[in-house]
Amino acid sequence: MFRSLLRQQTTVQTGFRGMATAAAQTQRIKKFQVYRWNPDTPEIEPKMKTYEVDLNHCGPMVLDAILKIKNEQDPTLTFRRSCREGICGSCAMNIGGTNTLACLCRIDTDTSKDLKIYPLPHMFVVRDLVPDLTHFYKQYKSIQPYLQRDTLPADGRENLQSIEDRAKLDGLYECILCACCSTSCPSYWWNQQQYLGPAVLMQAYRWLIDSRDEASKIRKEMLQNSMSLYRCHTIMNCARTCPKGLNPGKAIAEIKKQLAFD
Amino acid sequence: MLARSGLGLLRKPATGAMFGASRLAVSRMIVARSVSTVKASHEQEQEILIAQRKNRPQSPHLTIYKPQLTAILSTFHRLTGVAMAGSFYALTCGLAASSILGLPFDGASLVSAFAALPVAIKVFAKALMAYPFAYHFANGIRHLVWDFGKELTIPGVYRTGYIVLGFTAAVGSYLAFF
Amino acid sequence: MLSLSTRVGLNTSRTALFRPALIRGIKTIPQPPGYIVGTVNDAYIPPKPHKLEGSLHWTSERIVSIGLVPLVLAPFITGTSTVIDSSMSALLLYHCYAGFQACIIDYIPARVYGAYHSYAMYLLTFGTGVAAYGVYEIESKEGGFAGLLSKVWKA
Repeated sequence: MFRSLLRQQTTVQTGFRGMATAAAQTQRIKKFQVYRWNPDTPEIEPKMKTYEVDLNHCGPMVLDAILKIKNEQDPTLTFRRSCREGICGSCAMNIGGTNTLACLCRIDTDTSKDLKIYPLPHMFVVRDLVPDLTHFYKQYKSIQPYLQRDTLPADGRENLQSIEDRAKLDGLYECILCACCSTSCPSYWWNQQQYLGPAVLMQAYRWLIDSRDEASKIRKEMLQNSMSLYRCHTIMNCARTCPKGLNPGKAIAEIKKQLAFD
Repeated sequence: MLARSGLGLLRKPATGAMFGASRLAVSRMIVARSVSTVKASHEQEQEILIAQRKNRPQSPHLTIYKPQLTAILSTFHRLTGVAMAGSFYALTCGLAASSILGLPFDGASLVSAFAALPVAIKVFAKALMAYPFAYHFANGIRHLVWDFGKELTIPGVYRTGYIVLGFTAAVGSYLAFF
Repeated sequence: MLSLSTRVGLNTSRTALFRPALIRGIKTIPQPPGYIVGTVNDAYIPPKPHKLEGSLHWTSERIVSIGLVPLVLAPFITGTSTVIDSSMSALLLYHCYAGFQACIIDYIPARVYGAYHSYAMYLLTFGTGVAAYGVYEIESKEGGFAGLLSKVWKA
């Protein structure tokens, strides 16, 4: 019953869309290969499943395509999504070989090539395109990402900051913690249990250079071991892949500079 | 937490075999909703969560990630470093062992052994040493520049990357063939 | 509990994760499922602070690398001497040692390989000791590392 209802809706929808675009346009079928794994049948190995989408009846972004697949072809396809405009970081996945947000990634209109979609690399898969980010968030929590002060503000109300000091936070505070950079980093692949990874280290730097924060001694001490910070070998996959155009590699280099003669 | 990470105690009855006890309940439910729920305490949920974590596969990484200049140059930096450090250790440890154990191996024998090789192999061996050396040297300087916080943007990384490759081609060829 | 498990798809479980053939014979330390220690609300606990493995190690490595640049260039430009060559070889030895050490920490982590990590480190330290004697041999008998290499090059 449910399925037939769905099908009905589909035909109505395509009919409507068909009128909007040129009626006699040739079909542009693009093949999407999507990583699938079902936790209910764990004995079945993960596999790639191919879906065909006509780009004439699909929005321009990869998120549009996988939503269309989920709506019309396979309701079991699982992925995270929320804001569809690159501000929530939910739809981070590996698209065409690089990590990015599905909502910010245009579909390559060359229909001769298949588009491969994987979950974020070297993460445990909850289901299909959904990675388990629990450890990533636990690492974020470990750097104490909040303002720490022992003294009260001078006027008793606000912790003021000069315009120059505030400008230091630009390029750091915009991070949405989508984990694209961390999961693109080979060092994080091999040692993610102990190496904090670019995203978390960039936030560590964001609190380290905040002029209002007074806990920099503890913050620096937490990084004083061979694993947390120094597994970074400046590979720079992080900055290459960041969907927000931020530069975690530079932030890590600045932490290393701060710590160098500490 | 369970519901958030897609681990809610749900099971679609439409797929897979059904278990005797729940068959009736499920078939009754199908009329109203196509999912059945199972009651569980918080402790039970935690146990299930840990059991499910054990089942989770690791998503593919090295094999599916796009080869990019950033990672490739870094890989070669480490490979050339390990290869050259390995040969340095082999040479020095060999000389140390020969002097302690009195083996007939020293610098002169190495030079004469190399001199006895055919010209093509000599040139090949020189290239095999010259290119990694030129590359590791240039890329090492690139890394030192980065450690001072300079050229650490994506345009900078690519610019310096191409400079390093050019340097390697020029200096490596000069050392190997001239 | 069992019936609950079967009803949420846990009646079957996956076999052990894929491991490269090279290390199949080596016993590794089993890791917590999902790498998660404690509950989801506990923060990750970093290793204890150890400056010698942290910033001091990094800084010394950089200083040695910076020092190596002119010392490696010297034989090509101004010619070499025993002093230059000895210091070059000594710094080079430390540079190699630090590089190998980084590889061991990256690829044979103590967290997974336990004692094998220590064995690898001991082997590296021992090898570096032997190599240091070899460097002494080269400097005292062979006329320096750069000299030996240039002899090979011209042979």
